[in-house]
Amino acid sequence: MTATLRIRLGQHSDAGRKPVNQDFHGATVPREPLLGTKGIAIALADGISSSAVSQVASAAAVRGFLDDYYCTSEAWPVKRAAQRVLDATNAWLHAQTMHSDARFDKDRGYVCTFSALVFKGREAHLLHVGDARVFRLHPQALEQLSDDHRVRVSAHESYLGRALGAGPTLEIDYRCWPTEVGETYLLATDGVHGHLDAAAVHAALAAHPDDLDAAAAALVARALARGSDDNLTVQIARVDALPAADAAPLHTQREGLALPPPLQARMDFEGYTIVRELQASARSHIHLAVDRASGQQVALKTPSVDLSGDPAYLDRFLLEEWVARRIDSPHVLKPCASDRPRQHLCVAMEYVDGQTLSQWMTDHPAPDLEAVRSIVEQVAQGLQAFHRKDMLHQDLRPENIMIDRTGTVKIIDFGAVHVAGLAEGTRDARPDALLGSLQYTAPEYFTGAGGTPQSDLFSLAVIAFQMLTGQLPYGLQVTRVRGPGDLHQLHCASVLAVRPQLPPWIDAVLRKALHPQPAKRHQVLSEFMHDLRAPSAEYLRARRPPLLERSPVQFWRASALLLALAVVVLLGLRATGH
Amino acid sequence: MAYLAPAEFVTKMVDAGESKLLMSTRDTLIRSYMAGAILALAAAFAVTVTVNTGNPLVGALLFPVGFCLLYLLGFDLLTGVFTLAPLAVLDKRPGATWAGVLRNWGLVFCGNFAGALTVAVFMAVIFTSGFTEAPNAIGQKIGHIGEGRTVGYAAHGAGGMLTLFIRAVMCNWMVSTGVVAAMMSTSVSGKVIAMWMPILVFFYMGFEHSIVNMYLFPSGLMLGGNFTFMDYMVWNEIPTVVGNLVGGLTFVGATLYSTHYKTAPKRAY
Repeated sequence: MTATLRIRLGQHSDAGRKPVNQDFHGATVPREPLLGTKGIAIALADGISSSAVSQVASAAAVRGFLDDYYCTSEAWPVKRAAQRVLDATNAWLHAQTMHSDARFDKDRGYVCTFSALVFKGREAHLLHVGDARVFRLHPQALEQLSDDHRVRVSAHESYLGRALGAGPTLEIDYRCWPTEVGETYLLATDGVHGHLDAAAVHAALAAHPDDLDAAAAALVARALARGSDDNLTVQIARVDALPAADAAPLHTQREGLALPPPLQARMDFEGYTIVRELQASARSHIHLAVDRASGQQVALKTPSVDLSGDPAYLDRFLLEEWVARRIDSPHVLKPCASDRPRQHLCVAMEYVDGQTLSQWMTDHPAPDLEAVRSIVEQVAQGLQAFHRKDMLHQDLRPENIMIDRTGTVKIIDFGAVHVAGLAEGTRDARPDALLGSLQYTAPEYFTGAGGTPQSDLFSLAVIAFQMLTGQLPYGLQVTRVRGPGDLHQLHCASVLAVRPQLPPWIDAVLRKALHPQPAKRHQVLSEFMHDLRAPSAEYLRARRPPLLERSPVQFWRASALLLALAVVVLLGLRATGH
Repeated sequence: MAYLAPAEFVTKMVDAGESKLLMSTRDTLIRSYMAGAILALAAAFAVTVTVNTGNPLVGALLFPVGFCLLYLLGFDLLTGVFTLAPLAVLDKRPGATWAGVLRNWGLVFCGNFAGALTVAVFMAVIFTSGFTEAPNAIGQKIGHIGEGRTVGYAAHGAGGMLTLFIRAVMCNWMVSTGVVAAMMSTSVSGKVIAMWMPILVFFYMGFEHSIVNMYLFPSGLMLGGNFTFMDYMVWNEIPTVVGNLVGGLTFVGATLYSTHYKTAPKRAY
């Protein structure tokens, strides 16, 4: 049994010497699968005391964060999900201020500080704006993890520099670090943290070792006794257990699912009738099947016998359906999941009646630019759907692209997809495994730098190059790259060497997308798509390169031939006595 | 289940062939050097067993340890890449060209030769106590193996050359069957059993294996065999390499590819 994330929480809030408690706090400990994909969130907000409505702001901020964070895409990493939620909250609070009398005096508006800790996987994430503090407890000291966004005007006077709802846009601090079992974290508003030290915290924890709520209450009481005149809130979080370093969030879902038997035509399997085999490889088997309940045709994918003993492969196999369910694009294959309980490992996907791009390339050895552009654009739109969810496809190749009878292009295989939100907090958080087909993989995977959206762009550009010329831009050079030094020796072929009648700028656009350094490629797919349609001036200036560049071999052969002729002529002249 | 259906292991063969073409020069050389060295050591071991027991069957029974070791460690023999690498070109894998296949074969040949030669020198040192005395019994046996299989063939002229060539073809038929058979199983024990059988057959039958010969003949030259380097090259190594190429490609690669792979329905959803 693998351990899951367990955090022991204690919280206490008190209005103190003030009539209203403008602090607000909360925490959410979800069940699986959310515990694995989103983690445990603890949030604390402190309304500014000059405002009579800031308790509304702090409540809205904490409630909104704890509710909405768990509604964001599981594919997003914590940073992106939390920032999106807080941006929305900030915009709402700011709008409330602007619609009330407080628009003339921002100090009376819907403004609060906000600090949150999210524990996910083996990592802790801090989101912070304002002057509440987040501490990590050490034997002798409290380590402050957050910065105070307080601007000091004089020794006695200071004001809040940044806060939630204070402006139309939000600048929020984000930090992430690996946690350890046994670590204790504290979140405290300014009513408490001025009266807090490590000894006091240790004393409170020692007095209430199993009841952190009581420990928090004791800290609040102590701060109040020491003369705090503000609202007082403390949250304590102790890490009791962390998931194993190599535990995949999907791991638990696989348990209880048997490996499928070898499928034969006309066989009944999981409520489907198998029609025929579509493809069998050492990686997976795909059968055309009909769902007996709905009559729908599906492509049923089952793991191969060869890899059925590899847990990492089986995890990725299940991930495929997970990914497909979360992407809605006309250019990405849809899953056809049924509600029936499943007994076997298998994935049902939409059946695409058409051909693969590699077959298309065989059928169209010299396609016109518009046909290529149309396919590349549709694949790029499919990739954009992945990138918007912080996913990388990582295995784009002609066999993984289908063109149906209407000419719609679909990306079909998600076995190598890297999902930032799932990988976060696990050992392999960086997309650096070589899972794809090597000929289409960007060089940064070979140097170990890891993938980015530009790596998918590279793969797409390789495919575009291959569609136009039938060759690979770097041949097999990229697959033999071993380190960053090898990148300088890569030589990209020219589209014009094979298809001289194509416009020269298309070569320049592809060269940019195929640059060995990801930073020098187009930064986003839309830029690449735009360049393919409407080349900017820098590409239009590109002329047909000289023969020496287009085909060095031909150039030197021609030079050698000329020299040989010259030698013959000179020898002839000499022989004839001239 | 530890046995793969043929359609699955044949795609694995093509994938394996493709990966040989994609490998960097450095990796290709290191892997082939180690393969040559391990196989040479196994050959020395098998001859030692044969001399000490007086029974060639015992040596042949034990010789496959070397092959199993180098396969499990992921090293490449020329005989194996003869069979696998061309499949990537036949299957029109992107970027796979005959030039790439020749590059791979050339590199693996050099690596295997260097590895086998290293072990030949090491073993010669052992058999002669550092070249200070005449070779011991095993050394003498190895020294004279080469004679029959070079000048012996030469004595029969064209018939000898044909025998040599056929023996080389038969050899890689068996050895490549071992390579492919190992892909059929997903467990180490299954792989070892599958490789053991054909390798045992080839060694006992005295078929000509280009890499084993890269050890036996240079050793023979160092340990006093009565043949020259040119005898070795012309009347053994070069025809053996060609025979191995033909045997692996025709009897194993092309047959399995055409019957199990090409009849499978093409990729289409």
